[in-house]
Amino acid sequence: MNLRRRRRPLRTIRSWLALCLLACAGQAQATLQLQPADRSLTPAQAQATRQLLDDAAQRLPPAWADALRKPVSVEWRDDLPAQVHGRAMAQRILLDRALLDAWMARPPQAGIEHPATRAALAAVIHELAHLYDRTPQGRLSRDPRLLDLAGWQVSPMRWGLRTSHNAFSDRSPDRYELDSPVEFVAVNLEYFLLDPAYACRRPALYRYFAAHLRASPTQADCAAGLVYLQADAGAGQSPLLQIDPDRVYAVDYLFAEGNDRAMSRWGHSMLRLVICAPGRARGPDCRLDLQYHRVLSFRAFVDDVQISSWRGLTGSYPSRLFVLPLEQVIDEYTKTELRGLRSLPLKLDPAETAALLERAARLHWSYDGRYYFLSNNCAVETFKLLHDGVPRLAGERLASITPTGLLRRLQRAGIADITVLDDPEQARRLGYYFEPSSAHYQAMFEVAKQSLHLPQSEVQDWLDLAPGERAPWLQRGDLRASAALLLLEQAALRRQELLARDELKRRFLGRGADRSSDDAQALAALQDFLRLEGFLSRPAALLPEGGYGLPQHDERDALTRESSRYAAQWQQQREQLHADARRWLPRQSQATLLATEANIGSLGRRLRELHLEQGGLQL
Amino acid sequence: MIRPLLICALLALPVAPALASSFAGTSAGASSAGSSGSSGSTSGDDKIVLQARDDAASFVASEGRIRGVQLEAAMHQLRERNPDARQASDMQLAQAILAL
Repeated sequence: MNLRRRRRPLRTIRSWLALCLLACAGQAQATLQLQPADRSLTPAQAQATRQLLDDAAQRLPPAWADALRKPVSVEWRDDLPAQVHGRAMAQRILLDRALLDAWMARPPQAGIEHPATRAALAAVIHELAHLYDRTPQGRLSRDPRLLDLAGWQVSPMRWGLRTSHNAFSDRSPDRYELDSPVEFVAVNLEYFLLDPAYACRRPALYRYFAAHLRASPTQADCAAGLVYLQADAGAGQSPLLQIDPDRVYAVDYLFAEGNDRAMSRWGHSMLRLVICAPGRARGPDCRLDLQYHRVLSFRAFVDDVQISSWRGLTGSYPSRLFVLPLEQVIDEYTKTELRGLRSLPLKLDPAETAALLERAARLHWSYDGRYYFLSNNCAVETFKLLHDGVPRLAGERLASITPTGLLRRLQRAGIADITVLDDPEQARRLGYYFEPSSAHYQAMFEVAKQSLHLPQSEVQDWLDLAPGERAPWLQRGDLRASAALLLLEQAALRRQELLARDELKRRFLGRGADRSSDDAQALAALQDFLRLEGFLSRPAALLPEGGYGLPQHDERDALTRESSRYAAQWQQQREQLHADARRWLPRQSQATLLATEANIGSLGRRLRELHLEQGGLQL
Repeated sequence: MIRPLLICALLALPVAPALASSFAGTSAGASSAGSSGSSGSTSGDDKIVLQARDDAASFVASEGRIRGVQLEAAMHQLRERNPDARQASDMQLAQAILAL
């Protein structure tokens, strides 16, 4: 049974009526017959009904009208349940009488933008869409491609079966569409025919329906490019990022290698967008425009101060698509976590790249899925993005629940090009491989040791020294040794920062942590910060209700304003939190951090002096 | 049993950017630490050069053997815009970046 939710409560008056009409205009005229079921309409009602059905029939693409060969009877009913606009039976559609009353009560010149016009036409089209969907020519709601686009995604854990839940619930035009694929098709066909903005807001679905029905209803003037919200764009930059698919030279599978820790053994899956600098023609040089590259990374949004593995297993964290600057991702993995990154170009043509970006935008604005460690993790989400965004890839056997598994399958299917890693030196130089900083710690130490005759034999012994013990050595090296010492000093700083972080966590979150007022204040500040971050990680939350799909002109203006406001506040709170966190540390740790920073500062000065002394190039 | 695990111990669950790095985490300027030009007012174009500082240090320390893409990108950009940079060798450029 197909129920149509009523958008506004309307009063009904009479017992049911029906009428017969031969749709009389447009190409649909030849076959589509909307017939009577009763004779008791007043002449005015009969005329209004004729007008409505004519209008609806005129809008139907010929392929749709042709498929409805048998006459369809139309009945006005006032016994439909509340919230139901209509029903589609075998060869009969029932419509809420209130729609007719509202249609008749409109001002004489009311156009499609009048709510009553829109509601009545939408109801007729919705029910005719159900009838069409049931014909052999229709069957849209069973088409795997439609299900991909709509959000009943395949699930690798269930042998390729689809999820029964549609998680594309943000910025939906009408949440009734999420009820079932059948309703999704009917609701979306309403919008396809009646809303010129549909082509801009749901471009992939527009193209799908247009190709299927061989029709292209009027399109509005779409806002250019695709926009995404960057949770951490950097100070002074607008968090709203516009990407023009024509400027994307390549998409890489970006794989963060696992490390020894049990929980990150399988690595992390991301996609890297190789975006060309403004003005640069699309080509291999774009690979060096690193500051414009962005990373699409599915992450659990953890709205709490500590992660619970139980919550991770049971899906109580939202899974969100983050858009991050590449350089931030490089720092995070190679310098903080000491994990390597492999960036493997995917073989996609420009149209496929554009479709993938469009799909990413749909996910970014509408998806509110759940992160499950096992069944809906980063690898599964990335697989689904590729699968749903590029139809060709849906035909490949790529499903995997681990990032390494997905990598292997992409490679086997010839989609990811791993030959870029064949020459390790070139892979590093061209950015196909980003080494963990730790890869050269020992070598750097050897350089310094040789030059300065350091007494320690291993890099670890050097890093274990107190910063004050290392300090005197730092003023003695030549340019080469000083460069090596700088890298080691930075490694020492990062290590101390991690220790400090652990120390704070133990203090604030550990069992039996003492709850001084300082601690309570710290936790409150952190919770507040996370609340703010929640807004930035769920882009749809920044937009007012009403719009749907990809944000268009007015919405982008609102987004620019709102997101800048939130981002500025977020930056400020983050800096405050950094400063406070320093204060909350034990004195000893504070002193170590300060001394290491001083070491880095003095090495910087030494490098500049040496450079000046030898008359080096000044930039 | 519900065992709460702390964020840093649980890298398989990649988390929102701020949590990953901000709670007393890495200082934002770590990669350009010690640089005289690491003020917040750098433009995007300068940023690519400052971001190359670690790569430049590896390049200088390894006498050119370790050559990362961030250095490559910075050199490419400097040579596109700066006539002096076009005359300079890779090592001279790397040293200049390191001395920023």
